[in-house]
Amino acid sequence: MSLKIIFILLVGLAGGIAVGAGFVAFIAVLGIIPRIMQLTKSMKMLIYYKWATILGVITGTWIGLQEVQFSLHWFLLVFLGLFQGVFVGMLAASLYEALDVLPLIFKRVGLQDRLLYLLMAIVLGKVFGSLFHWLYYINL
Amino acid sequence: MNISVYFRLHHRVQVKQDQTVVLKDIAIIDAPETLKKDLEKVQVHKVTKQDHNIVILDGIKVIQKVRGKVGNCDIQLIGPQQTIIEVITKKKKMSKPLFLIAWLLLFIGSAFTIMNFHEDTSMQTVHQKLFYLLTGIEDSKPLSIQIPYSIGLGIGMILFFNHVFKKRINEEPSPLEVEMFNYQQNLDHYMIINESEESIKRIDES
Repeated sequence: MSLKIIFILLVGLAGGIAVGAGFVAFIAVLGIIPRIMQLTKSMKMLIYYKWATILGVITGTWIGLQEVQFSLHWFLLVFLGLFQGVFVGMLAASLYEALDVLPLIFKRVGLQDRLLYLLMAIVLGKVFGSLFHWLYYINL
Repeated sequence: MNISVYFRLHHRVQVKQDQTVVLKDIAIIDAPETLKKDLEKVQVHKVTKQDHNIVILDGIKVIQKVRGKVGNCDIQLIGPQQTIIEVITKKKKMSKPLFLIAWLLLFIGSAFTIMNFHEDTSMQTVHQKLFYLLTGIEDSKPLSIQIPYSIGLGIGMILFFNHVFKKRINEEPSPLEVEMFNYQQNLDHYMIINESEESIKRIDES
């Protein structure tokens, strides 16, 4: 019996380590944290950002697996949504950058001087697509 | 006394069709005043139709051209070992429809990918669950998360790319600009190796 429990614990731990390492690798490859530090000029705070990510992951995991329940006002969730959006936006932007699609498109079409407008096309496309999804698409 | 002549090739220059390229166009020269005047006018390349739009001019070739003019000088080449000459056939005009198509491609493309991403990651369910967890109210459409989320998405991308239309958030180049630079650099490197005959020696089977 106790052997079974130890085995289960080991499986859980191993799974957690693998997923955690994968998450960190993903974040590291995309370079979101360096970008945030660059924008806020807070390179010295790296260690805190690291812990913020780790604690965030742990909190998210815990809340997701437990049936805890708070009674917050819905308005607080506006900030939550906004922060999630900024994070996912940076994720998407860095993915674009990592995949090298944009330099190729811009060069092939010969539109290097209009870079900004094309960037805005992507950004507005994301916002529009997202709003369309939540406000209309899911009702279908 | 031995006179030294230094020149540093530009990495990349643009010339017009049928232009005669002189040393001044492709390099910064440092030499005694009298010699410099002559050197600047040394013809290093004549652009012809056969050149298409890229010519790689190797440093050695330039030295060979210069050698005759300066005689017994010590020629020093510093910086890049070759220059990429880009022949501009006609002023590239940006066509409005093409721009519009590219704009729409990116707009529609990114709109669809974000929708697919939401479906893929079951974000709807996560938002619903999160809304219930935090407020205790069941809501199948937790818009108070989702609308700010959508706006935040745009803000995040702008932050990452460091641009809001014409305005820059700070002086540093954005990752995208660095990426474009790297891309160009790689292209140049490829052309230097592959397009100039000097860089590759093949065994001729004859």
